Amino acid sequence: MEQLQTALTAIKVLRSSVGQVFDSLGSGLRAEHGDENKETKYLLELQELLTTVNVNLRDVEQAVSSLNPPPGPFNLASTAYLSQETTQERQALYGTLVNSYKWTDKVHEYSNVAQALLSQNSLKRSYTNSNRTKRGRIQTSSHNVSPQQVDSLISTFDRQFNDMTVSVSRPFASNAVLHVTLGHVLKAVIAFKGLMIERVVVTGYGETMDLWTESRHKVFRKVTENAHAAMLHFYSPALPELAVRSFMTWFHSLINLFSEPCKRCGLHLHSALPPTWRDFRTLEPYHQECKP
Amino acid sequence: MGVTVLQQFPMTENRTGPQTIEFLTKRIVALGAVQTGQFLVDCETYMSVPQLGVQKTVHVLHNSEQPASVFAVLESGSKVVPLIADGLFDLLMLKMTSIYTSKKQTKIESKGPRFEIGDFCVKLGSVTMSQNFKGVLVEVEYRPCVVPGSAWDLMREFLQGFIGSVVPNQAPQYLQNRMNDIYQPMDTIQQYLEHFGQYRKTTGVI
Amino acid sequence: MFTVRTRIKIPPRAINAHRRPIIYIKHRTMAAPISTAMDSLSAALKSNIIPNQEYLLQGSVLDSAVEVLLHRLRGLCDNVDSGPETFHDHEMCFSIRRGPPPEQPLLLRVRRALDYQDMPWQLRYIGQPELGDKSRPTIVRSSIDIATSNSVVEFLTELGCRLDFEYIVRGYMFRKGRMKVTVSKIFKMGQGKLPESVEPISQSYLVELSVLAPSGQDAIAEDMRIFAEQLRPLVQLEKIDYKRLVH
Repeated sequence: MEQLQTALTAIKVLRSSVGQVFDSLGSGLRAEHGDENKETKYLLELQELLTTVNVNLRDVEQAVSSLNPPPGPFNLASTAYLSQETTQERQALYGTLVNSYKWTDKVHEYSNVAQALLSQNSLKRSYTNSNRTKRGRIQTSSHNVSPQQVDSLISTFDRQFNDMTVSVSRPFASNAVLHVTLGHVLKAVIAFKGLMIERVVVTGYGETMDLWTESRHKVFRKVTENAHAAMLHFYSPALPELAVRSFMTWFHSLINLFSEPCKRCGLHLHSALPPTWRDFRTLEPYHQECKP
Repeated sequence: MGVTVLQQFPMTENRTGPQTIEFLTKRIVALGAVQTGQFLVDCETYMSVPQLGVQKTVHVLHNSEQPASVFAVLESGSKVVPLIADGLFDLLMLKMTSIYTSKKQTKIESKGPRFEIGDFCVKLGSVTMSQNFKGVLVEVEYRPCVVPGSAWDLMREFLQGFIGSVVPNQAPQYLQNRMNDIYQPMDTIQQYLEHFGQYRKTTGVI
Repeated sequence: MFTVRTRIKIPPRAINAHRRPIIYIKHRTMAAPISTAMDSLSAALKSNIIPNQEYLLQGSVLDSAVEVLLHRLRGLCDNVDSGPETFHDHEMCFSIRRGPPPEQPLLLRVRRALDYQDMPWQLRYIGQPELGDKSRPTIVRSSIDIATSNSVVEFLTELGCRLDFEYIVRGYMFRKGRMKVTVSKIFKMGQGKLPESVEPISQSYLVELSVLAPSGQDAIAEDMRIFAEQLRPLVQLEKIDYKRLVH
């Protein structure tokens, strides 16, 4: 204890003497130095101050060398409890308890209502089978597959069609994002969740490819909408690979977007748009308004 | 830049230039087009001085669709060299007036309203050469497609829908040699140059 | 008899289509007449915003001393966050003349970046330096910089220009405000296409300080002189009198 005290005092003394050196440097030549031999007097003063600093430094070093480092971590004893507030009256426990109970109650209510509303939509793709009778059987999940499976499936498309080039990237951790180029007609970005297609964006050949920006051209915006319809149509939880394969075949049929006229009216254009609809079974082109 | 096709619209006796443009405007607006301003394509020609030997011609064109670019086409004998440069190229041509001189009378331009309908862009241009009216040139661009081969049938159908049977069944000669290449803005300029050349010949100049 | 073949129902959105911002085309009101490119160019010339004059100072430094100069420039200049910017260019000089020797030829330079193959090529017209008074601190000459597509060499050859000489430049580029400083080494063109082992033409680096500005802004010359002073003991940047170099 004593040694610590001496070391601390020695450091204080050193600090003040260094402070004095800088003070005198800062104020430079002062009136007290008189008129003759100002510079020599000043230099002498500076020298004195610096020798004091030296002496103090030696003191500090001596004091520090006589200290031993403390053994192990410091024992704070009862002061460690300063960080905890243990008086129950001080804590607003009851109030927060009541709030969280009210909140969970509301969540229950809302989810009941939402379930009633959402179950009316037959196009939803649920991740779990709500049919309780299948409990106990292992669910074939389409979104919980390994990246290798997804990769092997995708490489088959690249080989299957020679005017369609497919490249995979994984900017979102393990879920694949496909960049597809269909001849010189269009480009698309398809985002997967495991083996299930989540989102498709179609743009023209010259445009920048982004998952979030829509195409500048009306025709490709329409094709994006139709691609989403196809994606939902081809969804099958039991056979996810077949679903993706059928979607890609459907997608490939868009290669004749500009060259084939509509099967029903025989014209290329209807309200200034080419046939953007492809029938899901026959892959024939139809205009949006002409589709059967 | 989508595939672009130029079509000359024949003049009839009972209609002047502006009346023809108005007639076509009425048709295109009836199809649902919206006017989006004006357009201008102009062409100035420079000829080399005789001391340089074989006569060479430089056509300098501007297109309001690409306002920051200047297009230049050099014809020397049978060789044609295109060049795309930025706005200051005009200054350079001014510096070279002692070697390549311009004949102001041959300055030709196509100017008029610009419409958009769906993904099409239609421009109805009155072609004038130093204040003399020469004809009506219609330009149609289908922006989403960049390969002329796939777009030609579609565009012909569109053109026939508002111009009528003037449109030939075959694509213009210029495009026929490039049906499977990616379309470039320079191709539009070359087509304009061809048409301007034809208009110039109609009065015997150049 | 013209019949409308397609019956179009105009959806309510299309009526307001012209009010939607069109990003890729300058949005013009329908009433405003369109101006030709030549009109806007002459307007720009009149209002003196086109940078068509170059103010230039040049100097050289031996290979052994260039590191120190680069350190000094890194300390003085702006664009050195991740190391100085390097460039590797190939420059070709063409001239076109109207007739036999008494006629002055027109000089044009074409520069392309060898490290970025897709960048536009640069066509440059450089005029004769102004015969100003000796008190002008820098060379002042008219210069027009034009970005072009890559057919420019063929274009110039067919135009009647002759290739006078060509070389490869490799070096560093620094910027301070409007001023551009380049420290570069010039290499002779090697045999064959462009092999890596080109030989330098001298044991030194060329240092150039230049500014492109519209005509009439002579104050920038003074700024350049002050900057040159800061590099003074390492490299002497001064205006070179080309007439004395030509024999």
